[in-house]
Parts: sequence; structure tokens; C-alpha cells
Amino acid sequence: MQDKQFMKEMLTDSAQAYKQGRMDRRTFLALCGASGVALTAVMAGDAEAAADHVVMWNWGGQSEECHGSAIGDAFTASTGKGLRFDTSGPLEGKIKEMVESGNVTADVADADLFNAVSLGPTGHLEPIDYSVVSKDKTLPGYALEYGVSVILYGYAFVYDTEAYGDNPPQNWADFFDTAKFPGMRSLYKWANGSLEAALMADGVAGDALYPLDMDRALAKIKSIKDESLYWGSGSEAHSMCVNGEVSMGMVWQNRGRNIENDTDGRYKLVNNQALAMPGAYIVPKGNPAGAAAMQFIATAQEVPAQLALLDCLGMTPSNPAAFGQIPEDQQPYAITSAMNIDKIVYNDPTWWGENGGDAVNAFLDTIS
Amino acid sequence: MNALRKHIHPGWLIIAPLLVMVMALYLGPILNILWLSVTDPEPGFGNYAKLGESDALIRILWTTVRICIITTVFSVTLGYSIAYAMMHCHQRQKNYMLTLLLVSFWISILVRTFSWLMLLGRRGLVNVALEDIGLIAEPIAFMRNELGVLIGMIHYMIPYAVLPLLVSMQAIDQRVMDASRNLGASGSQTFLRIYLPLTTPGLVASTLLVFILSLGFYVTPAVLGGGKVLMVAEYISVQLLVTLQWGTAAMLAALMLFGVLAMLWIMSRFMKLSTVFGGAAR
Repeated sequence: MQDKQFMKEMLTDSAQAYKQGRMDRRTFLALCGASGVALTAVMAGDAEAAADHVVMWNWGGQSEECHGSAIGDAFTASTGKGLRFDTSGPLEGKIKEMVESGNVTADVADADLFNAVSLGPTGHLEPIDYSVVSKDKTLPGYALEYGVSVILYGYAFVYDTEAYGDNPPQNWADFFDTAKFPGMRSLYKWANGSLEAALMADGVAGDALYPLDMDRALAKIKSIKDESLYWGSGSEAHSMCVNGEVSMGMVWQNRGRNIENDTDGRYKLVNNQALAMPGAYIVPKGNPAGAAAMQFIATAQEVPAQLALLDCLGMTPSNPAAFGQIPEDQQPYAITSAMNIDKIVYNDPTWWGENGGDAVNAFLDTIS
Repeated sequence: MNALRKHIHPGWLIIAPLLVMVMALYLGPILNILWLSVTDPEPGFGNYAKLGESDALIRILWTTVRICIITTVFSVTLGYSIAYAMMHCHQRQKNYMLTLLLVSFWISILVRTFSWLMLLGRRGLVNVALEDIGLIAEPIAFMRNELGVLIGMIHYMIPYAVLPLLVSMQAIDQRVMDASRNLGASGSQTFLRIYLPLTTPGLVASTLLVFILSLGFYVTPAVLGGGKVLMVAEYISVQLLVTLQWGTAAMLAALMLFGVLAMLWIMSRFMKLSTVFGGAAR
């Protein structure tokens, strides 16, 4: 009996030490293991939650550092809770698997808003608590029951200024016109953005895209298939441009600035008709930190966090209050800046949440 | 107790823990996948019926099998000549060759895949050099297509093809060849009628190894295929992670599993598989 008491005290102490950063995670988990905690009731996730912090599930790379400085510091200052990361990338299938396995170790997933539409109703997500999170601090239509858009990213394109010097391409119609603008193209492999671009190139108005006319979009995609490559990750899209494999490349707009820099300005970003994608924070069902996840999301919505994410990651603010404060040098790259906001088109997460799976497979069938 | 011992060899007790572990950690998940393929999204054989309905699935399977067959033929042919050369050169050269082979064997698949892009890409070393010399006006499309995938896969698979062949060639008694020549057979006759048949178990082993490993290729086709060469492994991953059609993914995984088992079974009709895997030919 005494032993148990001792173990409990030791664990509480070490949890405190862990929280305050006096003990590293491995030592803490080792202590949990030594005392039999991990074996009996508490899985690693619970033990971490007991140490009082929120686990953010993101895509690694720079985002770990950026989410920490942009959101984590302010979150810790206001709530006293720390921020930890899982950088394995919260793809829809992984979230589903995590929740179904019953071992939920992440609190906030840096995902897409359409994930909230497809995973929410099936019971894999916690509903967003709109008494903590604000519906006004995002674009209208991007605050949904199971997810809220915190940043925007976009599908835009870059072109080779040396290939099309005096007469540069200006919109998706030019992008798909390989007669007028010869050269290789690159598009996103998993359909998103590619389908919308194809429809706009075919003459569909930006505000009349949804529901997507799949046959029409795929026919357009097929028309430039021989001149197209398809990328699956941001770095691949980046290297296709930097290595000169394509003359025009669809990119995630937050990569545009890096591509311009890495090619000494040879490639140039075009934000006209860029498709704004709502990047959303969603909460896996039964997350270990509970309601603290909502406070974290609320922190990310604040203007300073929004501007810091833009500065650090190139992710565009979705809180309208931040639009006016986008700094001068970021104006060309942020899709909701005064310079770009009238030229962009908005993604419909509901259509993608409901039809995305079939759309991706139809797209893969067309390009392979 | 004695009666029990009569029927169950005590040796089983020693390997029992291993058996239990294999059952729990290996067989369990596989059964789970099989189960998923007939229960998700609804019970029945709907996922398997898709094979008959969907041209896309058939095409992906055909692409996979085609690429794997070509990869296997080239890897094993090249591997055979490499192994043969290693067997018949000086020890010193053999050591060099073995070192080079193992070094490439140990280098990560990602590094090897991306190196091909540097070398044979549109603005890679080879294309730029050829353009500078003036041999070609337009870059040759080595990469980002099926050719690129094949180059990457064959290169990756060659060590896997060489090693079993090397083992099998080393086991041959060289005096048999001498005897053959002594009895008046020409060099090519000796090779075709004595050496080649003696290395058949090694050939089969490396063919099986290369083909089965090729079936699961994911990174190389995804990167070097430019998105246009879709093989089963990548398709399964998309169905699991993006489109959430776990049933389809499980069905394809089960299909691959049964395909490989069927292949082994057919092989076993023609030869003792135990010799392929290093056992004695009884």
C-alpha cells in the first residue's frame, strides 16, 4: 500500500518536473514504465496529458518551430499549459485509425477543413466549442461543426520568366493552353486544386465551381496530360520548378516565395484565380487534453498568431481582422492581402468532404 | 503425460513462444486485413466485385505486374552476369565488386531514387552534357515516366538478384565443368547444359525475391514516375490515408498476398522450393 502511495507521489512530482521542463519526456515515460503505470491504466498519451499540455499533430519540418513560436508561446502564457508535437502528418486515414484504435495521443490536428466534413459525422472528431473558439475570427462559411479554418493556403502557379518573357501567363486558361505557352506543367496529384483550375481554365466562373463538373474537369486535365507531371508533396512541387523540369507549375502558394528566391526570380508566382484552401484545426475524438484543445485553437485565431504564422510559414491569415495588418513585403504572397483578395476563389470544404474520395480516385484514374 | 509426449515432440515446446508471437503479431493483423476486405464498407464480396467493374483497378494491377516482370527480367539477367563475373575473376577484384555491391545495397532507397533525378533528370548531368556537346537538341525524357521507374527499380533490385545467385554459384563444384570440357563439350555447351541447370535454384530464388519485393515498390514509382505511373502499393496507401476506402485497400493487399502465395505454389509444382531457400535437395 505504501509502495503505491510512493509511486503515485513520485509520478505526480515527475509530471510536474516534466511540465516545467526539468525532466525530458523519455525519462518521464521511463518512470511511468518503471512504476507500472504504462502497463496498467495509463497509456503514454494519458501520461502526457496528466503532465498538462496539448499535443499538436502537424506535418513536421519548419512547422514545429513555427507553431511553437506563433501559437505555443502565447498559449502557454495564457493557460500555463505546454505544447508538444507529433510531426507524423494527420492524414485523414491516420486520424481515423488513431481514434478507432482507442489510443488517441493528439489534441489538435493541423488538417484541412474538408477532413472535418468527412470525419466529423462519423464520430471521429470532437465538435468545436464555439463558446471558446470564435466564428467571427475566420472567413464566413469556414467555421464548421467539427473544424474551423485557422489559416488559408492556396493553389496558385509559378511560371518561368525566361520561357515566356514578354507575354507571361496570367490565369488558369493560359496555364492549360500548351499551344500558346509551350512547356511542361505540374499539377497536384491528389486532385485538389487541379480540378478547380481545370474548370476555371475551361471557362467556369470562380464562384460557380461547385458542385464540380467532374467529367468536364477531367477532360481538361487529360488535354494536357502528355505535357504534365504530378507532384505529391510541397517539396516535390518545389524541386520540379527549381530543377527546371516544368515551365509552369501549380504550387501551394506559401511555397511561391521560396521558389522565387531559390531561382533568383526566374520563376514568378501568379496569384490570380488562386484557390483559397481552408486549413483547419480539428480535434480527434477523446483527445487527451480535453477542452484545452479549444483554448489552443482560440489562441491560434488571434491576430498576432495569425501574422506570426504568415511570417514563419507563409500561411495566410483566415481571421479578417488580420487582413489589413499583412506587412508590405508579404502582400504579394498572402492570398487574403489587399493586393490579392479580390482575385482569389474559395474552396468548398463541404463538397470535398462529401465527394473527395471518389474525386481523387477518378483523378488518379485519369492521370495514370 | 507420456502419451502426450509420444504425439508431440518436446522440440515444439522450445519453439512454442516463437510460434505464439508469430501468430499474435503477424497472423493476427493479416487476418484483420482479410476480414476488412470483406466487411468494409459493407459485408460481402463487394470489394472483390470491383475488380470486374473497374477498369482503373485492372489497369493499376496490370501496370504493377508489367513493371515487376520487366524489372525482374533485367535485374536477374544483369545480376547473373555480375555474379558470374564475380565468381570467375581474381579474389582481389571479387572483393572490390562485392564491396561496391554491398555499398549500393546499404544506401537508402530515397537517396538512390533522387540521385537518378540528378543524373538523368531534364536538367540532369547526362542531359546537360549531351546538349552541351550538341548531340541532342531537346533533353531526353529518362525520368518522370515508366522508363524512369524501371531504371530506378532495376538499379535498386540488382543486389537482391546477385546475392542468391552468388551463393548458388559458389556451391557448384568447379570440377564438374572441367570434366565436361574434358569430355569434349564446348564452352557454351558446358555453360548451357551444365552450369546453367546447376544454378537454376539460385535463379529461381533471385527471380522470386526480386519479383515479390518489386510488387511492393512505393517510393520509386511515386517519385520517378512523375505521378503517371501508379502501382498497387501507392494506390493502397492513397485508399488508406486519403480516400478512406479501407475495404478496397484491404482487398488489393489480400490480392497481392494470394498472388504471391499462388506463385510459390505453382513453383512448388515444378521444383523443391526448399532447395531455393537453401535447403538440401532431398
